[in-house]
Amino acid sequence: MSDARLRLAFGGLHPERIRCLLDLHGPSGAVAAIERGAVKTTSRIRGEVAVPAAARRKQLQAAGIEVVLRGGPGYPAHLAELPDAPDLLFVRGTLPAEPGVAIVGTRRCTSYGRRLARRYGKAVAVAGWPLVSGLARGIDGAAHRGTVEGGGIGVAVLGCGVDVAYPPEHNDLGEDLIRLGGAVVAESPPGTPPEGWRFPPRNRIIAGLSRAVVVVEAAVTGGALITARAALEQGIAVFAVPGDVERRSSEGCNLLIRDGAHPVLGPTDLVEALSLVLGPPPGRVMAAPAPSNVKGDDAELLRLVDDGVGSLDRLVELLGWDPAAVLAGVGRLEASGALQREAATVVRAR
Amino acid sequence: MFASVTSVALVGVEPRPVRVEVHIGGGTPAFHLVGLPDAAVREAKERVRAAIQCTGRSFPGRRVIVNLAPADLPKGGSAYDLPIALGVLAAAGEIPRDVEGVVALGELALDGAVRPVRGGLGAASVAADLGRRCLLPPASAAEAASMELGSIHAVGSLEEAIGVAVGGHDGAALPALAVAATPLLDLSRVRGQPVARRALEIAAAGGHHLFMDGPPGAGKTLLARCFPGILPPLDPAERFEVAIAWAAAGLPRAVPDQPPFRAPHHSATTAALIGGGSGVPVPGEATLAHRGVLFLDELGEFPPHLLDALRQPMEEGEVVVARKGASVTFPTRFQLIAASNPCPCGYAGDRLVSCRCTPRLIDRYRRRLSGPLLDRFDLRVRVSRLDAGDMTGPPGEPSARVRERVAAARLRQAERGRLNRELGREALDALAWGPGAVEMLEQSVRSSALSARGWDRVRRVAATIADLAGSEVVTEAHAAEALAYRGAE
Repeated sequence: MSDARLRLAFGGLHPERIRCLLDLHGPSGAVAAIERGAVKTTSRIRGEVAVPAAARRKQLQAAGIEVVLRGGPGYPAHLAELPDAPDLLFVRGTLPAEPGVAIVGTRRCTSYGRRLARRYGKAVAVAGWPLVSGLARGIDGAAHRGTVEGGGIGVAVLGCGVDVAYPPEHNDLGEDLIRLGGAVVAESPPGTPPEGWRFPPRNRIIAGLSRAVVVVEAAVTGGALITARAALEQGIAVFAVPGDVERRSSEGCNLLIRDGAHPVLGPTDLVEALSLVLGPPPGRVMAAPAPSNVKGDDAELLRLVDDGVGSLDRLVELLGWDPAAVLAGVGRLEASGALQREAATVVRAR
Repeated sequence: MFASVTSVALVGVEPRPVRVEVHIGGGTPAFHLVGLPDAAVREAKERVRAAIQCTGRSFPGRRVIVNLAPADLPKGGSAYDLPIALGVLAAAGEIPRDVEGVVALGELALDGAVRPVRGGLGAASVAADLGRRCLLPPASAAEAASMELGSIHAVGSLEEAIGVAVGGHDGAALPALAVAATPLLDLSRVRGQPVARRALEIAAAGGHHLFMDGPPGAGKTLLARCFPGILPPLDPAERFEVAIAWAAAGLPRAVPDQPPFRAPHHSATTAALIGGGSGVPVPGEATLAHRGVLFLDELGEFPPHLLDALRQPMEEGEVVVARKGASVTFPTRFQLIAASNPCPCGYAGDRLVSCRCTPRLIDRYRRRLSGPLLDRFDLRVRVSRLDAGDMTGPPGEPSARVRERVAAARLRQAERGRLNRELGREALDALAWGPGAVEMLEQSVRSSALSARGWDRVRRVAATIADLAGSEVVTEAHAAEALAYRGAE
């Protein structure tokens, strides 16, 4: 029974198609139908399906990839409730049993969105909830980075195979998540390249693994809103970070707020609002960072950076000091490791 | 039946004396020119013959041999017309042999008028070295006279040249330099941008190469164009070096003591940038910017081979250009200022505008900049877009005030013997480092905020910051500020 399901999954068909085949023929019937050509597929897919399950198991074991079957042990209960839940998931790392919080957003983000995603990702991690996202460039990656900074549990749901480094620059990030007790999961079989059509269906998994979805920055079109829509269909709470009404990359979020999503006004606000949905946080509420070894003027500078002032010119303007003094302060804090640069902005070091 | 007149050939930017020897002997009437002349020099025969006849003298109807010595030095251009004509007339006995005591340079018109040529300044300096009088076309003479080199005579025609050469005539009056000085932009026009302003000041004081990145319209170009205004004027030796380099390119200088500012477009060729061309190489933008500023706007648009070509000149202060004609050395001690968008659309990392570029595009764009060239910028700053408040705010500090501080800092460096940009590791070690300064830098290496490569760069900048502050000791605050100019590594 599970052999057939595994072989079918390795065909790498569209999730919707897998679901139809299973509904019509059952696992063994579906595999048989593909093998005898009753179901139209390519010869490559027939070849993949034909590989015996034992060989597949050996292959997965060698790669350190686990498989959890819907209805079987280790399959998240809340995900199984979805009518279109994936039949099985390929997992690297440990999939948390409890549902988490999804933080998603556009790949083409502004530094505003990136910064907030990171900060909220960290707040969720510190609060002790698992964070679910898609490991994509932009907001997703920043949220995962926040998880790593907060030392929390993170789940990255991929549109490609779990052993495929995509996007390549986030390969290390995925490894960090696994190291910290999180997981990288996908419904596509290992080795699947990142194909555009695989990404929208994976968003339902992101929503399905969560009890709340936070959209940090999203235009009206794009994957983040697909996740939000899936969340609404699944009856999951949707939160959105407000942005400039004139900025395209915030239009989606602002629309969500108009339509009833809870606006997120800050990390503490987010954790409070999430506790109403998820219950009291198992961890702690993130305290305002106040390192003891930073004194006087530098502390004032640090406070502004914590408030999100990232440009050196803005710091000079807001502090009203001599530019040389501000720059010396930034340099000193960078040397001590309290601050670091991200592209051209100054941010709080992890 | 023999006479010789001294003239000048340029090797790179360096003037070398050339003896124009004329022999008139028996045989079939002919006019031969030997001694590695190029096509333009060979055409001198016709111009010289016509010019001599037009001044009412007769061209010798005998066998005329002109030799340009040393014969192995390639010679180009039309500047030998005047010395050849003087030599022919002297050898023919038309005029006294006194012409041998002058250095002459100039192109002849068919009616005997003398036209301006490039290299006038070189001729003047050779004449000054030899202690002779120098005969130049009026425009070239004015340029040479601005450098105050020996006795220079402007000659508007062949007749006038003869008058000066044999004595009894002083030549035409020196015309005013017909070059309009481009007014410098004043830093007071820059509103806001405190960090970029400070970086400009440090760059000017220490001669550091400066890299600015920022979104379009942030004012990077304006800042760069204001930069020459805060540089101290050139000293006489530098002024001469610059003038010689410009003269070699045939360009006059409007304000001789103002450091040059060159802004080549990214479509420039390698030859235009570092010097070259067919035949005898001519100086490029890097040499025209010698002792001044080379500004590369939109650095990311420059093709990689151009940026690579700049590395040797930046490092060694000179560039060797080899051509079939000759291999020459051009001085290139310029200060590089470069501006770039952070990505092709310009908005990567912006606070409010989202970037439209694909990550791969940004990556490729940055890779083009990164590496060996970017490593050579001591200062890197982000220029941010102005808020509306900045545009209506009070004007910035005027250039003159900044220039005073820069000049004071340069004076301190002069005592050390060189610009801070050129300080090597030993010289940096020898500076007086205050308590905590070195510890702070070491700490930032440990916290990996500073790469080993950035180590000397930051120390050079710190030295300049101390010079600006008038401090003998490089303090912790100076080092900390220098750390802040690294940008993202």
